Amino acid sequence: MAVSLRESVEWVSNPKNLDETVDEVFRLMLGITCRHSNVVRAHADQESVTAVVGFGGPLSGACVFRAGAAAAMKMAGRMTNANHKTLDHTVKDAAGEICNMLAGVWKGKVPELAANCRLSIPAVITGRDYNLHVLAPEFEVRRHYSFDDGSFEVTIICDGLD
Amino acid sequence: MREIRTLIVDDSSVMRKIVERALRQAGLDQLVVHEAGSGAEGLDVLKAKPVDLILTDINMPVMDGLEFLRQVRAQSLAPGVPVVMITTESSEDHVKQAIQAGAQGYIRKPFTADQVKERIVPLVRAA
Repeated sequence: MAVSLRESVEWVSNPKNLDETVDEVFRLMLGITCRHSNVVRAHADQESVTAVVGFGGPLSGACVFRAGAAAAMKMAGRMTNANHKTLDHTVKDAAGEICNMLAGVWKGKVPELAANCRLSIPAVITGRDYNLHVLAPEFEVRRHYSFDDGSFEVTIICDGLD
Repeated sequence: MREIRTLIVDDSSVMRKIVERALRQAGLDQLVVHEAGSGAEGLDVLKAKPVDLILTDINMPVMDGLEFLRQVRAQSLAPGVPVVMITTESSEDHVKQAIQAGAQGYIRKPFTADQVKERIVPLVRAA
């Protein structure tokens, strides 16, 4: 008997899927080894970058990637081999692309999602002291990671599941 | 050594640079790179300049990579030029759609320089 995505929500929302996703993206594209962190490191910089890629199809929701300004600039530097001193267009582009890859790799771990779940173009927000809220999500997987002396947060939010 | 005129189509300028770097690390150091931020821009480039290799993302605004590829083939803009999709979409169905649209190769993001070497360099050498 075929199992619906809703029935396999526990498997879909397993944090291990997200941990493996982050490891793959950061290791292959940025050459960074990340560690899952239980401690939420307060960002010394007050400004942060948040990238969002939406999911549509059998799962609707979003992948949200958030990092403080300094960490985001370091990550962009890894991708561009350049030194970034401000949250310029390239740093925002890099954050969007990291989120894009995280979303793609994560959904690729679930066969039904790999085939049928669409991804939006990344949206990138910069600013200070803001939070994203989703009313009554089906599930939310939020994990914090650290590397060198930077940290970031990745959240998979599902607000609808077929 | 002949130049390899390459069109890289991706809405992310960061990713276009990463792809170029991976191609050079894979040994294609005679590259002349043209960039486009969407399928529509890619078509404009091809109408103006001949290329030897096309690399394109799928998910892009204005015109996605699959439609771009269909238009390239329908308008005979780059006859015989190998096209490789470089994208986060990894399902068999996406790969099948890309091949049906006329792609010769498919690389999933994130990727390594070795994957670029294995999947793209042979296409360029054979063309």
